[in-house]
Order: sequence, then structure tokens, then C-alpha cells
Amino acid sequence: MNALVHAEGVSKWYGQVSGLNNVTVSIPPGITGLLGPNGAGKSTFMKLMTGQLKPSQGKIRVLDEAIWGNPTIYSRIGFCPEQDAFYDRMTGLEWVTALVRLNGLNDAEADAAAKRAIDRVDLMEAANKKIGAYSKGMRQRIKLAQALVHDPQLLILDEPLTGMDPLMRRKTIRLIKDWARAGKHIIVSSHILHEIESMTSNILLINNGRIVAEGNVHQIRELIDTHPHTVYVRGENPRALARRFLAEDDVLSMKFEDDAVVIETARPDSFYARLTELAASGEAGRIDEVQSPDDNLQAVFKYLVKQ
Amino acid sequence: MNGDAPSLPAFRRMSFFDASRRVFDLSLGEMLWSRRTIFMALVVGGPVLLALIVKAVETFGMTPLRVDGQRVPGFGIFGVMIWWLFLRFIIPVLGVFYGTALMADEVEDKTLTYLFTRPIPRGAVLVGKFLAYLACTFLVVLPSVMIVYFLLVPLSGLASTFPSLLIDLGLIALGLAVYGGVFAFVGSFFKRPLVIGLIFAFGWEQVVMLLPGSTKQLTIAYYLQALVPHAMPSDGVTSILQGLFKENPPAYLCLFWLFAYLGGFLYLATRVVEKKEYILEQ
Repeated sequence: MNALVHAEGVSKWYGQVSGLNNVTVSIPPGITGLLGPNGAGKSTFMKLMTGQLKPSQGKIRVLDEAIWGNPTIYSRIGFCPEQDAFYDRMTGLEWVTALVRLNGLNDAEADAAAKRAIDRVDLMEAANKKIGAYSKGMRQRIKLAQALVHDPQLLILDEPLTGMDPLMRRKTIRLIKDWARAGKHIIVSSHILHEIESMTSNILLINNGRIVAEGNVHQIRELIDTHPHTVYVRGENPRALARRFLAEDDVLSMKFEDDAVVIETARPDSFYARLTELAASGEAGRIDEVQSPDDNLQAVFKYLVKQ
Repeated sequence: MNGDAPSLPAFRRMSFFDASRRVFDLSLGEMLWSRRTIFMALVVGGPVLLALIVKAVETFGMTPLRVDGQRVPGFGIFGVMIWWLFLRFIIPVLGVFYGTALMADEVEDKTLTYLFTRPIPRGAVLVGKFLAYLACTFLVVLPSVMIVYFLLVPLSGLASTFPSLLIDLGLIALGLAVYGGVFAFVGSFFKRPLVIGLIFAFGWEQVVMLLPGSTKQLTIAYYLQALVPHAMPSDGVTSILQGLFKENPPAYLCLFWLFAYLGGFLYLATRVVEKKEYILEQ
């Protein structure tokens, strides 16, 4: 296979607004991270490569086939969208089963495939609960299950780790890497370099609808480290979390927001590692959600654009 | 979490109908338990409530409806309700509200992505949802018609009027299908489908039916009303004018055009959905 996705001079406009601007890129097999701040054009690019949008200009091919108006290709592609949208009245199992039936599987096969996919995202215990009752992290996982349920050759994941707790993030990253080791290909978007970096070193940087850098971006990595990084941690006991991090010398500042603590760190890598250990040990109570606002990356992009 | 890739049966190509049927399975439950169905139940509850009132009035020995001093029998009241409430109001209203929302609901709820990234033609999504609309409306509207009939028509009149009830049920089902098909196209093609749908159903159709000439052949009501087994009620200027210019095209012609409208607009709607870009708001 040459390239998973080949875009040639692709632009997308929403009326007067440009979503993607003259992008020419070839995404190689394996795992590729699409990194950029919110509004950079990641989702537009993903919608173009999943055939939901038609380029205003240029051509895009996926797995060596045209994507727009070519539904059969979706048997080889799995897509996990960013939006938190579901048929809330259905259970997770019903939903994934109903979707995989659209791949032509009969009822028994669809049921077995859905159970397998739900098991792979560690959601079997909640498979028969209504999606409306799921937490944010569970909703992310069921979305992931519907994307991989038909064993696609290419998985396209738009911000898949948003809203997951640290342990589930680690498990999902492992799942993605295992999937790649099994010969599948993944394109994953995020606005957090550390997430992407934990999956792959092959990164596409996107900002203002343009690909600003591609390849193994160590320089970006170093740049990120020179900028303070803000992390929002929501959990059972934010004060206990704060106490644990207060002693660390990389923590620059800290503030409380409802049931969360917002921490500014100078060394995000070691911070995330400690946070995952803390979540696993349960010493500071349950950690429900970890988020990183995109202004961390935005600062780096501003710097890059000036260069 | 297990990362090994599973071995699955290969993807099987489905016929358009099979794909539509699977979308139907997925959509029916969601549609049946939606807020729109509560609205529909309220709308079709109106005639049932009226029929209950008529029944109560009769039970107390009073005459519920007189025309020119003559008592209108139960079956006559039923016919009036078919005309006034079902054909002129409920069917077009449900057609507009459901038909225009077939794709719009998926866009608004941002769930369209899941259907459009599966190996089925986009047109099958529309047809599947249209079939779910039919099942949903049939399940609510047709029982309501039957309840109204059994409340109004005395037991002694059931044998002679029952064939007429079957025609009414068929007519209402056909009306829901044709209006739904037309408004499915309106919903997929226009930016403000609800406004356009309401203008079509309660502006264009009503006005044109009052005019002499052949323009009324461009309405659904013209063919649908020609098939009604009950006499048109004389309930005011509108009905008098409609009665004045009423034509009676043969039933086979009415059926031909109604099915042509249904097939034609549904086909156009699927073509639009196949070609259209749906931009979901972030």
C-alpha cells in the first residue's frame, strides 16, 4: 500500500470561511497523529477523509479509492467522530449491534461482533445499560467500539481520548497500539501532543487549515516543554489531588474549579506519568476526567508561525 | 482491554432494500419514543376525545349533531371526522412534521455520521427512515381511526359500514405515505423545509382546491379526496366552493397519480441525499 490517505490541493470552504486550505499530503501506513488546536481544521480534514464532506477544491483518496460517494469503502474504514452524539434510548450493545448490521452482518454475527468490540473497550459490564446513562468516558468508549466493530483496515479517530480518566486513556492508547501491531492503520487527532506522542512519532501538525509540519517532530516536543502546560483534573477528591501535586517542583500553579483542580506544570510528561500512577493507586480518590485546554498547543503554534 | 484484531465475517454487499430495512430497524424505536410521537398522539387523541364526547351525549339520550333538523347518524359523524380532522388536518400535519424531519433530526442530533460512514447507499438511510415514519404513524393514527369508528358507529351498523372503514384506513395510510414522500423531498432539498411544507399543505393545497380549472391536479388533496367514500360535509364557504368545483376523477387515475407522487418524490429525495453535503455543527 502506498498511502492510506492522499490529499492533493484539498481546500474546503464553509461559505466564506475556510476550513482547510490547499492541503497536499500523503499519510503513510501505521499510526499517524493529527495534531492541532481546536478550530485548526482537524475535524474538517477527518470529515473529508471519511467522505462526509466533499472537497471544494482538490482530490482526496483513501485506501487507493475515491471516498466521496463510494459507500462500499466504509467496510474497510472505522470512524470515531468527535461529537458526543448517540441514540440515547438504546443500550450500548443494541446500538453497536444495529450499526454493524449495516455492514451486512446477520443478527447472530452482528451480536457476536458487537459483544467482542464492547469487550475490547472494557465496557461489557455496561453493555446493557442505556447510553443516556453512560458517563463521558463510557460514551467515548462505546463510540470507539462502533468504529472497530467491523474489524476495519483503517481506523480514523477524532479526539478519542477526550473525557476519559487516566487509566482508560492508558488502556485506549494500548488498544490503539495493539491494533497497529496487528497490521491495521490508525489516524488519530488530538490537541494534546503527549497523547499523540504516546501512540506514534509520526505526526501531522495542522493550524489555520494548513499542514504546518509533518514527520517526526522532536523540535515541537521541545517547544512544548518550554511552555507551561495546563491540566484540568476532575475527581472524587480534588483537594487530595492538589495535596499530592503541591510538593512537586514542576507544578507552577494550581486552582480549584467545582469538583476539579486545574494544575499548571512545567514538565507535562512526568506530570501525566505521576497522575496515571495516582489514578491506579486510588490514593487521592477516583479520578473521573482529565483534560488539557488547547491553549498549551496554541502558544506553540503561535511561536511556529512566527518562525 | 484486548487489542488483538478479531476475525470477522467479511463485509457482505446488501441490496438497497436490505440496507433500508436495517436502517428501519435502527430508526423505528428512536422515532416511536420521540417527542414527535407524543405530539402525534396528542393530535390523533383529538378525534378520539370528540368521539367520546359524542358517545357520552348519546348515552344521556341527547342528539349530538343535527343538520336541517335531522339527526346525523354515528356513521355520518364518523365521515365528517374523516374529512375534517383526518384528511384536511392530521394527515398533512403529520406528513409535514415527520417527512421534513427524516434527515433533519439526524443532522440536529449529530447522529448522521454513524449512518453515513457505513457501507450502505445514503439513499437507503432516507428510505429506511421513511419506512420507520410509516410504521410509526400507522401504529398511532390507524388505531385512532378505528377507535373513533367503534365509538361512533352503533353495533347494528357495523356490518354495512365496515367495508367503508377499510377504505378509510387504506386512504389514510396512502395519504400518510404520499405526504410523507413529498415532504421527505422538501426536507432533504430545502433549507427551511418546515415553513415550505406548511405553506404547501395549508396554503397551496387549500387555495388551489377552491379554484376552477386543472391546477388542482397539482395537489395531493385532489386525488385523495376523490377517493373518500363519505360525502363531503358542507361546513362553510370553503366546503361550498370546494364542492362547487369538485371533480371526480376515476379511482384508478387517483391511485396512479398518488403512487406516482410517492415514488417520484421519494426517488428525488434519495437522489438529493446521495449528492448533498451535510455539515454538522461542532
